[in-house]
Amino acid sequence: MDITTKNRDEDKIILIIEGVDVPFVNALRRICMVEVPTMAIEEVDIYKNDSRIFDEVLAHRLGLVPLKTDLESIIPRDECDCEDHCPRCSVSLLLKEKGPKTVYSGDLTSQDPKVAPVHDTIPLLKLRGEEEVELEAIAQLGTGLEHAKWQPTTSSAYKYYPLITIDTEKCEACANCATECPRGVLEFDEKENKILVVDPENCNMCKTCVKDCEMGAITVEGQEDKFIFKIETDGSLKPEEVISTACDILAGKSQKIIEFTEGES
Amino acid sequence: MIPVRCLSCGKVVSAYFEEYKKRTDEGENPKEVLNDLGIDKYCCRRMFIAHVEVW
Repeated sequence: MDITTKNRDEDKIILIIEGVDVPFVNALRRICMVEVPTMAIEEVDIYKNDSRIFDEVLAHRLGLVPLKTDLESIIPRDECDCEDHCPRCSVSLLLKEKGPKTVYSGDLTSQDPKVAPVHDTIPLLKLRGEEEVELEAIAQLGTGLEHAKWQPTTSSAYKYYPLITIDTEKCEACANCATECPRGVLEFDEKENKILVVDPENCNMCKTCVKDCEMGAITVEGQEDKFIFKIETDGSLKPEEVISTACDILAGKSQKIIEFTEGES
Repeated sequence: MIPVRCLSCGKVVSAYFEEYKKRTDEGENPKEVLNDLGIDKYCCRRMFIAHVEVW
């Protein structure tokens, strides 16, 4: 297996993985999406809400606010031995505001500075006149399997690495394919009088070039064992953290099967 | 008020809406503002374009 990083942003990573098959990358993709735990607000105690927004809607908006997650320092609720919730398994965020103003996610005061909203500018509710809001929100670990608010990724996807081949014997250098390609993958080199594949990674395999080539000189295929793997997170975890945690989960599951088969024999 | 996240992919869109609104009201091209804010998927872009703030 060979992995290279193609692009790395603050909340996005694009990897090129070579020498694996679809079931493996798909397992990784799915685990990244729904099995890697993150923090999200799960319970809200509303003491006062004079605003026009319903309590339920407000609680729902709060739940969708992504929180920075430190997987080391907190344990899942169902693994904790407390009765309701305690600092080991949950973090409480307080909100107390008086109008007139728009209340933002940045107004939430967290009791654990490591668990805070990723964005400070998410509008939660609007207060008119003397309206007041007072609540306590309790954030817990969870996975995307249970609710989408716990999904660390906002896109988790892979595609085959495109393989574009031009048959130079059939090609008449009409440059139709280069002008028709909507993503600028192909270019016509006038000096050499031939078509060049300049940016294969940008190809989405729409096959417009194949359709427009009257000579049938061009073919677009996916390379069977090479993938472009893309992860974008909501900011709760870094993309590398998502992938490494996903691999730990996959390894843990495989280990269970190994232990089971060893016990059987 | 704009939904917190994109309805299709789950990217947080509400955090950027006020800036988008301010800049487009000042006459900037919505396309350029969205590119600038890093909203590159079309599911997220429609959240901005289609939203009408009613209260």
